[in-house]
Amino acid sequence: MSDVYVKTDGAHHPSEKHFSVVNPSRMCQPMGAVQALMGVKNSITLIHGSQGCSTYMRFQLTRHLREPVEVASTALNEKTVIYGGEYNLMKALKNITEKQKPSIIGVVSSCLTETIGDDMAGIIEKFKEANLGKQLPEIIPISTPSYAGSHIEGYDKAIKGLVEHLSLNSTPNGKINVVPGHMSPADIGEVKDILKTMECDSIILADTSESLDAPLSESVLGLPNCGTTIEEIEDTANSSGTITLSKHADSAGKFLEKKFSIKSVAIPTPIGLRNTDSFINAICDLTDLEIPAQIERDRGRLMDAIVDAHAYNYHRKVAIFGDPDFVVAMASFVAEMGMLPVVLCIGIKSAKFMEDIKTIPEGLSGYEGFSPVILEGADLYDLEKELETTKVDLLIGNSYGAEIAKKEGIPLFRMGFPVFDRMGAQRISSMGYNGSIKTADALTNMILDHYYDEAGYEL
Amino acid sequence: MEPIIETFESRKKHMCIKGSGISIPECNTPVLPGTVTQRTCVFGGARIVLMPITDSIHLVHGPIGCAACTWDIRGSKSSRGDLYRKGCSTDLTEKDIIFGGEKKLFDTVIELNKLYKPGAIFVYATCVAGVIGDDIKSVCKHAEELTGCRVIPVQSEGFQHYNKTKGHWIGCDALMDYVIGTAEPKTQTPYDINIVGEFNVAGDVWGVKPLLEKMGVNIISTISGDSEVEEIAMSHRAKLNIVQCQKSSNYLADKMEKKYGIPSIKVNFFGIDNTLTSLMLIAEFFNDPEMTERTKKIIENGIEGVDEKIKEYKERLSGKTVALYVGGNKAWSLIRAFEELGMEVIMTGTKNGMKEDYERIKETVKEGTLIVDDANSTELARLLKKYRPNLLISGAKEKYISMKLGVPFCDFNHDRISAFAGFNGFVDFAKAVDAAVSSPVWDLTSTRLKSTKWSKFTKMRRN
Repeated sequence: MSDVYVKTDGAHHPSEKHFSVVNPSRMCQPMGAVQALMGVKNSITLIHGSQGCSTYMRFQLTRHLREPVEVASTALNEKTVIYGGEYNLMKALKNITEKQKPSIIGVVSSCLTETIGDDMAGIIEKFKEANLGKQLPEIIPISTPSYAGSHIEGYDKAIKGLVEHLSLNSTPNGKINVVPGHMSPADIGEVKDILKTMECDSIILADTSESLDAPLSESVLGLPNCGTTIEEIEDTANSSGTITLSKHADSAGKFLEKKFSIKSVAIPTPIGLRNTDSFINAICDLTDLEIPAQIERDRGRLMDAIVDAHAYNYHRKVAIFGDPDFVVAMASFVAEMGMLPVVLCIGIKSAKFMEDIKTIPEGLSGYEGFSPVILEGADLYDLEKELETTKVDLLIGNSYGAEIAKKEGIPLFRMGFPVFDRMGAQRISSMGYNGSIKTADALTNMILDHYYDEAGYEL
Repeated sequence: MEPIIETFESRKKHMCIKGSGISIPECNTPVLPGTVTQRTCVFGGARIVLMPITDSIHLVHGPIGCAACTWDIRGSKSSRGDLYRKGCSTDLTEKDIIFGGEKKLFDTVIELNKLYKPGAIFVYATCVAGVIGDDIKSVCKHAEELTGCRVIPVQSEGFQHYNKTKGHWIGCDALMDYVIGTAEPKTQTPYDINIVGEFNVAGDVWGVKPLLEKMGVNIISTISGDSEVEEIAMSHRAKLNIVQCQKSSNYLADKMEKKYGIPSIKVNFFGIDNTLTSLMLIAEFFNDPEMTERTKKIIENGIEGVDEKIKEYKERLSGKTVALYVGGNKAWSLIRAFEELGMEVIMTGTKNGMKEDYERIKETVKEGTLIVDDANSTELARLLKKYRPNLLISGAKEKYISMKLGVPFCDFNHDRISAFAGFNGFVDFAKAVDAAVSSPVWDLTSTRLKSTKWSKFTKMRRN
């Protein structure tokens, strides 16, 4: 493989854009923390900041998931900015404890409270002291200044915060901890199906599969009535190992490894054949489980789906944008389908991503000299500019890619976050053999719709 | 008095029923910390007023989240360019927080001007930009001198106030201080007007403009739906301001009256009655017999066939109840339109209402109507459960709370899909309301697997 051609921070357009972000392709840390905490049963997230933070995040989440989303706010105002947010935070904890009765409150900081220097952990301690003897929920401070990192780091910090505060060493449970690193409820559902088929006892950290794809019922209003429980989070310290399905969300696994000597592996997001193989193998490595016939059968069905579709997909050029783990896994999968992932765009800078990209051609013929254009720390402006010169047949990414796709006259395969202009974002799955089968079919049908006529002949 | 629903002690006075003692809820108080508020921040308020200006760059000076969560969400349409839909941020990072973000802001403004040659660059201060003390005014001034492009500071730190209305005012002030009165129209007529507080959500302004133009008025600018900044710059030469969203824009109209002597008329183009009253008010203002004649014609033509077109919808909707929980103006401006469909508004409320807003609501609603201020998500769910309206009008955050409860929902905010203003808009409004209320899905949502009989709730709904 030749060197990957990297264009960093808009360096591709040196005369044009150095400073501004135009059409962002990433969100802020608190957003990721909210996403993680929504997978914890009977939990609520409290954002310590201005009321707009929680409201605008809820807006984005709710239009993607088409579910009500509850995020509380400490609703800071000018006075609290001068004198500190202690009063509002104490008051908020009291109000939530009394009225919402959650099992757990994730207190997430914002750029405002980080900058004014509120000691959230200290204030929480003070609150606990003031309420000695009373039944209080678990209260977990999660520091997520939005001027650092992105929603990916926020997700990682929240998951780590949960195990740091709750994990308790007792007796081995023979379970596997799984950190999905991805917010699609349907994807987590696919992961759970695999674990169930493998007969692998597991703790999903955190499990949004039911809370964020809930039935039409008033009982689902309010705090999530399903998801990972506190007892499960405590029990993560007794598992046989942690598998993180994302290279960027493995802090919780590393923490458990360091503190409780629990093996931790971070593997590529299990999208496509080889990445799902890695997941199954990782489960087998940590347990003495055998691979059941059903898994072999699903794997065979995925291969069958790829073979069925290969004639339509061969050497279709694809651009992919979004979170690094998603982009690299999806690139690997479309390569398995015979497509060429020629432009890859991520919102952050990541050495792990750059390493992973190099593994895409492994074991695949026709990828000698594979050299995608990589836009690192890039926005959708950079992507748009790149696609003006590097022409592709298909764009894969969230709804914000629609304008670019329209301009280029190519279809947009909507995946990632947010997807607000199509139905069913919470039900889009790409993980595991079965999720990959659905994706392979949908992708190929999109190619058929755009590049073949009604009779099935190439246009 | 028995509380309307179970809630915090301090929140009880924020809900009242017209005709039962207190007729105006307590309002304009800070959000109770720890509740799931439906409010946004001051930055959001300012952005709402200014974002529809189509030829401008809206640059958010702050960390990425403020821009990433709010770009291109307004639903304002444009008949011209789409520069306003870009999400621009200075993307402040740790280093900028420590050393200040002014240099980065300056460089970003210069760069964006070079890339897009916009009509203006609006620079919004976010919470953290305010806390680190970036002097965005002087940066904007300096950048404007260098580029010749209008670079307009919007001092909209989110934490400034608990009421988004302050953000509206800040947005209006930015226009007053930096735009309005800075250019002269080529020609002037005695019938020059501005449409103020109309944001062209889903294309509303296109249902209003043709009516006004047929009357013979000359529209200098719309502030700010489907507008360009240069037109707003000339708006001080108007003889009249007509104000649609009085929540966000009376403030601007008042300021323009003080500074430029432009009188204003409050108008409302939602519903037939409101539309024709508004048109006649404008005609009366100009007091030109020919215009009055023309206006009468327009109204005649406008209402012709409307009854016939909405007949089918009205038959299904008559007697059904409506709850409104909206950003401001719509809490009273829609009531008459629903009555024209034979529907009854049983609850209305706003997230950021001031005393005068609730006075207005009180005047408009019938006795027995529930009026609610700043309901958080729990309260909203409880109110819907208690009153079981046949329809909730609100925005994206409330949508799924309502639908999970089996309460039909119609989006009147960012995600609205058709224009509702004017005569034709009213027919589309009737159609959209019917689609929300009369869909057979609501018959299914209350069925149970083990019984094919209609449940009690469905029976209630059907009656």
